[in-house]
Amino acid sequence: MMLIHDYGALFLRGLAVTIALSVVSWILAFVVGIVLTVVRMTRVKLLEWTVTAFIEYERNVPPLVHIFLWYFGVSGLLPQGLQDWANANHGEYCFAAIAIALYYGAYIAEDIRSGLRSIPQGQHAAARAVGLSYMASMRWIILPQALRTAIPPLVSGSVLLVKTTSLAMVVGALELTYVTKDIASKTFKTFEAYGISTALYVLLAFTLLMLGAWLARRVRIPGR
Amino acid sequence: MKYPAKALMSVALLAGALGHQVASADQLADVKARGTLVCGVLGAFEPFGYTDPASRAVVGYDVDICNAIARRLGVKAEIKPVSIEARIPELQQGRMDLLAAGLGYSAARAEQVDFSHGYYVSEHKLSVRADKGYAKRDDLAGKRVSFTKGGITEGFVKSSVPTAVMVGFEDTPTAFTALAQGKVDAFSVSEVVARRLIGKLGANASQFKVVDPAVGKETWGLGVKKGEAGMLKSVNDALQAMEASGEAQEIFDKWVGAKSTYETKRSFKIEPIKG
Repeated sequence: MMLIHDYGALFLRGLAVTIALSVVSWILAFVVGIVLTVVRMTRVKLLEWTVTAFIEYERNVPPLVHIFLWYFGVSGLLPQGLQDWANANHGEYCFAAIAIALYYGAYIAEDIRSGLRSIPQGQHAAARAVGLSYMASMRWIILPQALRTAIPPLVSGSVLLVKTTSLAMVVGALELTYVTKDIASKTFKTFEAYGISTALYVLLAFTLLMLGAWLARRVRIPGR
Repeated sequence: MKYPAKALMSVALLAGALGHQVASADQLADVKARGTLVCGVLGAFEPFGYTDPASRAVVGYDVDICNAIARRLGVKAEIKPVSIEARIPELQQGRMDLLAAGLGYSAARAEQVDFSHGYYVSEHKLSVRADKGYAKRDDLAGKRVSFTKGGITEGFVKSSVPTAVMVGFEDTPTAFTALAQGKVDAFSVSEVVARRLIGKLGANASQFKVVDPAVGKETWGLGVKKGEAGMLKSVNDALQAMEASGEAQEIFDKWVGAKSTYETKRSFKIEPIKG
């Protein structure tokens, strides 16, 4: 195919940016998700409400709006020196990664919470009854089971995150979808260009799903 | 074996249904029989094609050109808004007869659609913040330049200021906002659009300026589907008649010339585009 010959390198560069943006956003999202979960477990009402409000805000506003808000809105509130630095150093990637990470951080917090809720209260009581402290019962009884339950939603959330990085093109991040649109509008080979990027996205998502399945198999509790 | 045969048949039916609309003999004859010329115009591209807030109709330079051509073909123009990315596929798939959508001539585009005579010449220039000390185009070497994706301006900047770092946005207001917020050092667009955007800022307009020389200029043609020679010829005849009668000059003055806020000069005549 002529398109791969002429633009293959450009597609791969877009793919590399998509992967880099996904990895950075994913790590940030996990940190955000864990922080939110921990804060919510403190049993301080005010903190719990703050976390719930934040999660609902993140989940109920479209990711595209978050990206615009961070790139054009929040960035303007930063000190001038930091703004100039971001403008000179491709701030579009940083702000897009932050917006995507906060968005999926909220989902990850919810996924972990649903895992925690799947463990009956009785187990906690039993753990305390045999003399484990709160932290120890979390560490040895509750979390190992809860995180296993949370693997499937976390994997599908990760695939969603990869796909959401395509929205970063609206602020000029040169990722796979930006490159695809660019090539399609240069060559007018819309079908071929999007066909190639579809294949690349499927490859990425499939790899992630495979990794998730492998992880779930590896940590499976025998007999369940 | 039953199932694949059924699937094959439904695919064949689907292909037949999709192929149906393409099966017309001569577009010009179709247009005349139908009594309407379906004209693709950019819907948010002041002053060439945009929705007039008072009448809620799409108006502009491109719309007037369409109407004038339709009148000369003896039919009514039906204005259909299109997006920059979709305009060429829409024409190729026969969803419209004529594109008056700020379609700048390029050799690559000419392989996809036939161009009429040039009916507008647009110069692209860089806009900068007045306080940054950029006086001329070449001061922007190595700087960040925003542009609207899918247009022709990207290539102009790449050839006239090769070291510029290009940052593409989905639409023109967003690309301009990037300049206004200092996210880029310059914004490349046609001069008319640049002056309109800056003019909209009112009292803050003096914070921006347009630097010379132009990064490039493009001649706009009307887009006609490939292989429709009859259509192309009557469109060109209509355009030439408009030039001769002075109607083309009137449309120019009304939208971008002396009678508009842009006050640009008409430095071109309607003539075949020199590829």
